[in-house]
Amino acid sequence: MSQAVDLAVHHDLANAEPRFVAPALVESGAAGAPRLIGGRCAKCGALSFPRAAVCTECMSEEIEKTELAGTGRVYSYSMVHQAPKGWSVPYALGYVDLTDKVRVLAHIDVPESALAIDMPVRLSVGRVGTGPAGEPLMSYTFVQA
Amino acid sequence: MRDVFVIGTGLIPFGKYPDKTLAEIGWPAVKEAIVESGVPPKSIEAVYCGTALGGMLAGQRVMKSLGITGMSIINIENACSSSSSALAEAWTSVASGRHDVVVVIGVEKLTKFGGGTLPLEREDWEVNQGMVMPALYAMRARRYMHDYGLTARQLGEVSVKAHEHGALNPNAQIRKRVTIDEVMASRPVADPFTLWHCCPTGDGAAALVIASADVARKQKAQPVRVAASEVTSGIYTNGYRDMTWAELTARGAKHAYEMAGVGPKDIDVAEIHDAFTIAELMYYEAFGFCERGGAYGLLSSGATSLGGDIVVNPSGGLLSRGHPVGATGAAQAVEIVRQLEGRAGKHQVEGAKVGLAHATGGGIAGLDHGACSIHVFAR
Repeated sequence: MSQAVDLAVHHDLANAEPRFVAPALVESGAAGAPRLIGGRCAKCGALSFPRAAVCTECMSEEIEKTELAGTGRVYSYSMVHQAPKGWSVPYALGYVDLTDKVRVLAHIDVPESALAIDMPVRLSVGRVGTGPAGEPLMSYTFVQA
Repeated sequence: MRDVFVIGTGLIPFGKYPDKTLAEIGWPAVKEAIVESGVPPKSIEAVYCGTALGGMLAGQRVMKSLGITGMSIINIENACSSSSSALAEAWTSVASGRHDVVVVIGVEKLTKFGGGTLPLEREDWEVNQGMVMPALYAMRARRYMHDYGLTARQLGEVSVKAHEHGALNPNAQIRKRVTIDEVMASRPVADPFTLWHCCPTGDGAAALVIASADVARKQKAQPVRVAASEVTSGIYTNGYRDMTWAELTARGAKHAYEMAGVGPKDIDVAEIHDAFTIAELMYYEAFGFCERGGAYGLLSSGATSLGGDIVVNPSGGLLSRGHPVGATGAAQAVEIVRQLEGRAGKHQVEGAKVGLAHATGGGIAGLDHGACSIHVFAR
């Protein structure tokens, strides 16, 4: 029995497909370029990220899927050295102010020496950690523009 | 609304008690507060117990250890403001005339998680992207440093001051002075924070007995009055936000000052929520102790150290006394009451007449913080 379990674990490791931590937040667009997916209220136009079920401005439940701006500036950041199991420490975490006025928390895939407040960045995808079965954990990230 | 007074305080030394249950951590603080108050246990009409991660029925578990049961027991979770929110609810129950004698408990056991950063709610999308509490405060620090020209070393001086105070407090979790060089050389947690920029995790409990004027004047010659009791929540946005300004605390402070009829210049002593070094500086500004951008100047002037005009965190604060999340608000209130009664011992603020306690927190996407509770006490 225990041997069967061990084999199953090894099987998972051998076939560990990358997995997105929040698959609804990012899609693959033209030529494979990532698109950041949020919501736009059909009644009042307010943007949300992640896409809201109900508008925080007017309580409408008609929220359309929309592509958010793929560029912005780093409002602030921190190089994180202590985090729960699974994250690839150290990692740079930052708030990115998108050009459409939405603020998004993201991994910033920029060397520590190049990180700076207000630096222009653009959307990307990258590996951010490792899942319980050894699978690479992926997410939207931002890189130097 | 009626006047409300504190007639009993209890506090256990904060630290690590992995072999004790939550109830075992909690009951000694409650017993101390009840004995100090002098009221018979039968007169307790309600209990408000704050705990963030203590699980169901924490208040019942603590109170049954003392055999004091049967009254209304309400458990309150509001992250770092859990027991300060419990105090606010208790205040309302006495001020409104519903009850005359009420117990407030703050109790937490973080050692059950085995260390590391505080476990946050994985349903929160930012937590799901790697947010941890040190990183949230670190981003505030990084932006503040950029906007106001503060250095990481200057920021580290907050920790030096906290541990100077905590070294004098027998109930502090960390009773050790640190030098600025030790602060800067400790291991990195979330840049610009090293370990000494961050509050420790641990266990703790604190309790208060609060009462109406009729009861309080029978028990004490000059009981400390709760001059303001206030709870607010963060304002949601998914747009841009100025992270160098503690909007939630500033809003709460304004309400609390109005309710108490005092201003920042009247405050002799304050226990404020210094979970990380930058927090203390930002809250100096939010409470109006100095202008925006002036916090480091206030710190380096010595005004907020023991012997200064507005002593902040004489207990050592969260950085040194410790921060067992749900216990913090009650512990701050106990500290301020004892300061105003002149029995704080080696970290006494001489002649303190007006003090405030401030517990805020809760990492939650889209809000400055989840909750903020402020109390003003006066003698």
